[in-house]
Amino acid sequence: MAIETILIINKSGGLIYQRNFSDTFASKLNSNDFLIIASTIHSVFAIASQITPKALQITQNNVDYVIPYIPMVGMESSNPQQNRNNNLPVKLGSFKGPDYFKESFVSWNKSGLRQLNSDQFTMYIYQTMTGLKFVALSSNVLANKPASQIGNMDKGKAQNLASQVADNFLRKIYCVYCDYVMKDPFYSLEMPIKSELFDKKVKQMVGNLS
Amino acid sequence: MSRQQSINSNQTGASTITAQSPLNRSLRTTGEEIWKRSERINAELFTLTYGAIVSQLCTDYGRNFVQINEELFQMGYNIGVRLIEDFLARTALPRCSDLQETSEVISKCAFKIFLNISPKVINWSNNKDAFSLLIEDNPLSDFVELPMDAMDQLWYSNVLCGVLKGALEMVQLDCDISFVSDILRGDQQTELRIKLNKILKDEIPIGED
Repeated sequence: MAIETILIINKSGGLIYQRNFSDTFASKLNSNDFLIIASTIHSVFAIASQITPKALQITQNNVDYVIPYIPMVGMESSNPQQNRNNNLPVKLGSFKGPDYFKESFVSWNKSGLRQLNSDQFTMYIYQTMTGLKFVALSSNVLANKPASQIGNMDKGKAQNLASQVADNFLRKIYCVYCDYVMKDPFYSLEMPIKSELFDKKVKQMVGNLS
Repeated sequence: MSRQQSINSNQTGASTITAQSPLNRSLRTTGEEIWKRSERINAELFTLTYGAIVSQLCTDYGRNFVQINEELFQMGYNIGVRLIEDFLARTALPRCSDLQETSEVISKCAFKIFLNISPKVINWSNNKDAFSLLIEDNPLSDFVELPMDAMDQLWYSNVLCGVLKGALEMVQLDCDISFVSDILRGDQQTELRIKLNKILKDEIPIGED
């Protein structure tokens, strides 16, 4: 899963962080466009939670909101070639490695928009209990891939898996956010994030993913 | 892993916990697991740093202890509104269904993860909208002895009230939080009172229900 852009939207719909990791969106959109996109996502998210058709609500009332833990998403790959001493714990800010968390978790985003598929890109949204939204735009398009490319999994399953990977990944971005943004004494709440350390960590994690 | 889980299930059976984390582990186990996987600092350094802050405040405010209490609360509040993100990122616990569950999460997870203590939840009000936390080994007040003039006014650990206030407000729980008694003041126990005023329903993020 290649991630093109990461957005963080605060609880009032303001864009507080935006980074492009390739030219796909950067060449077409300026920073003002991203501000508009952020508040549009915020609104569409709210609208989406209101307009789920009754038929779907009835047939899908047993939707499982538990996101299984997918090991080491976005982490430095633990391949044996690196010859790393496994007994040494990996330091990840205030988290003891090798990973930020180790268990499956329940998504806080129950009725809002979670995933948006288009011919050009896929968008994933992870919302926290405090109303913060972490958005990942990925160039991977699952919608029109022929079945042979996805293997024997059907399309729905592949989409589901991608969404779970994204949720795992975005929760880790949240972990990094709480370490490097929330614990930055010079950061004022709800304001744009200008932390270099945070930037670096996010970049690293996106790099590890592709 | 299977051995771990069998231990967990024993614990769940022994206690009367209703709240469950996604893996059906008890909150106590969740708290302990996460505490184990978090970096820590030396407890004495922490205690002494806090002591230094309080003593500096005493100098700055000319021993006006009412003002110092307020300042500590405000400092705590500012910590709390940020610390809650850390707590949620680590635990990813779902929203509590009632205050009873909230009290368990605060005592078994929050205090465990950040201070490595689990205060007892006591003194429930009749309509279940207020409870007390009985803090037995308050790490903030190790080595501390209050001078005579501070004994009946200063709430030495008032920062904790502020932290809880800020953190709970960020998850849309408007609470009143204050100390009722403190061993440092010569009381029998250290008791912290939490009273829920209202749930800020309008501020619950859309998409959560």
